[in-house]
Amino acid sequence: MFLAFHEIRRGPVRFSLLALAIGLLLFLVLFQQAIQNGLITSFVGALRNQSAPVVVFSLDGQRTLQGSTVSDDIDAKVREVEGVDAVARAGQGTFTVTIGGGDATDASILGTDDPGLGRPSELSGGRRAEAEGEAVGSEADFEVGDEVSVVASGDGEAVVLTVVGVARDVQLSVEPTLFTDLATYEASVRAVNPQAPVVPVNGLFVRPADGVDPAELADRINEAAPDADAVTREEAARTAPGVAQIRQSFQIIFALYGMVVPLVTGLFFLIVTLQKARSLTLLRAIGARTGVLATALVTQVLAVTFLGVIVGIGLYRLVTSGGELSSLTVRFDPALAIGWGIGFLVLAVVGSLASLRRVLRIDPMDATTGAGT
Amino acid sequence: MTDPALQMTGVRKVYGSGDQEVVALDCDELTIAEDEIVALVGPSGSGKTTLCSIAGGLLQATEGTVEVGGRDITELSASELTDFRRTAVGFVFQTVNLVPFLTARENLLVVDELGGRRSRNGAKAKERADQLLDELGLTDRAGNLSSELSGGQRQRVAIGRALMNDPALVLFDEPTSALDSKLGDQVVKLIRDEMKSRGTAAIIVTHDDRITHYADRTVHIEDGRITD
Ligand SMILES: Nc1ncnc2c1ncn2[C@@H]1O[C@H](COP(=O)(O)OP(=O)(O)OP(=O)(O)O)[C@@H](O)[C@H]1O
Ligand SMILES: [Mg+2]
Repeated sequence: MFLAFHEIRRGPVRFSLLALAIGLLLFLVLFQQAIQNGLITSFVGALRNQSAPVVVFSLDGQRTLQGSTVSDDIDAKVREVEGVDAVARAGQGTFTVTIGGGDATDASILGTDDPGLGRPSELSGGRRAEAEGEAVGSEADFEVGDEVSVVASGDGEAVVLTVVGVARDVQLSVEPTLFTDLATYEASVRAVNPQAPVVPVNGLFVRPADGVDPAELADRINEAAPDADAVTREEAARTAPGVAQIRQSFQIIFALYGMVVPLVTGLFFLIVTLQKARSLTLLRAIGARTGVLATALVTQVLAVTFLGVIVGIGLYRLVTSGGELSSLTVRFDPALAIGWGIGFLVLAVVGSLASLRRVLRIDPMDATTGAGT
Repeated sequence: MTDPALQMTGVRKVYGSGDQEVVALDCDELTIAEDEIVALVGPSGSGKTTLCSIAGGLLQATEGTVEVGGRDITELSASELTDFRRTAVGFVFQTVNLVPFLTARENLLVVDELGGRRSRNGAKAKERADQLLDELGLTDRAGNLSSELSGGQRQRVAIGRALMNDPALVLFDEPTSALDSKLGDQVVKLIRDEMKSRGTAAIIVTHDDRITHYADRTVHIEDGRITD
């Protein structure tokens, strides 16, 4: 302790710079992690945070509602599977809308014929949609009371949705998203395409009976209806197209940070250790146990890294205090911060192994000649 | 009678092997009494540092036995030698003696930290450090880093550091080589006073015959052999 802290006290600038560098690195990692989570949430938040534990696509639908078409045959088979409590039919599409008569923008409308299934499980404001034409919107894009008109084409009839509630983290494909009843969804499709003979059902939202495991039920549905692709809500979110790619590219970035952290701390402490090699040799010669010198080194590494972690988490906290970055939601996640903080401490210690090795291999005899530098 | 501070018997240190063999030290017998100050004089390369290193547990002899304060250190392991150096001997080296990022006082106190948590004396060590600094006339320089001290002051701090653990034997390897002769004289006088007031034995290595009169005895060494 004595050695470790006295040295830091005599050279506060260099140790502070290292702490700052570590802090910035940690901040970058946490911030990018927040962006990754925000991105994934905007892609599949609607699936992840809706009320049905099991989602059924058609096998050729590539796990997107928009690409999937559920036939009456599949619908009938799913309803017969043992352990199914309720099934809602769902349609989803992207429409050009105007909010309160403003500029035209794209929005995703997801309609289900059961208000208890395929709708946001928690609202952050307002109430659930009850009557036809009422909708719950994604919080980042809508406010309670908004009148959203689906822009009609040809001789289609415009549809107006009234936002009666909002929910957090429920976007689909990074679009403003509205949850409504199936009839309103179908009316929206007809507004754009008045000649549409039938509006296909894109997917099914299924609630298992009491005590039935969603994953098991999904398996049973897949067996009973070979053309269906049933998955749990979590898997639907995890395996949606794009999500895996986002994760992968970020993972490469994180792996790079995982290498930079031990490199930076390792190099820093190696330089410091080499610079004070004569002192370390002297201390060994006058009877310092290697353990004492090693402890001093590790204490410094941990102290400086800890300081950096505090700085990094502080910056992360500061930047995420707004909750939003352009249209992306970036949130402060304490578990993430602590997890990465501990990771950084471990990585820093790993990086200082080279210096530790150097300390352990000091020959105290070098003190008699002044060698050992 | 108490044990001698140092007893070397048949100690040889050989570097290399075969044709390249260098006999750095070949000492049949050397005894230093409990409170004796010995000046070790000899030309460069004669084995003075080698002798001190073996006596101080920095280096292990190729053969022979070494006893310090009655304790046989010949067979000690590396970590036992570390503890021996910290607790039983004091060193003042030829070149580097102070830790630059510690103040004069901290350079003394650090000795108390080197054995780890359990062997610490705490308040007693602080008391001892302050007393030594006072004796060495360094009280008003106690808070200065070594870069802020003069050569003579630095050497005095090193002497204080060497005395911190109340050693049985203190080894001074050319303590005056970096000082002018007047200052050198003062430092050797100080060493003598400190040793005599404590009754501690010391070996003072020197090239300089003028300072040998402060010693109780002068031992000459040449080509690793003690000549008288
Ligand atoms: N590590 C080593 N390997 C080989 N030979 C060595 C080694 N260390 C010392 N020697 C040799 O041992 C002999 C004694 O060296 P030592 O350092 O004890 O001399 P010294 O009397 O202290 O000299 P000086 O007055 O120059 O300090 C020298 O010939 C030296 O070259
Ligand atoms: Mg020498």
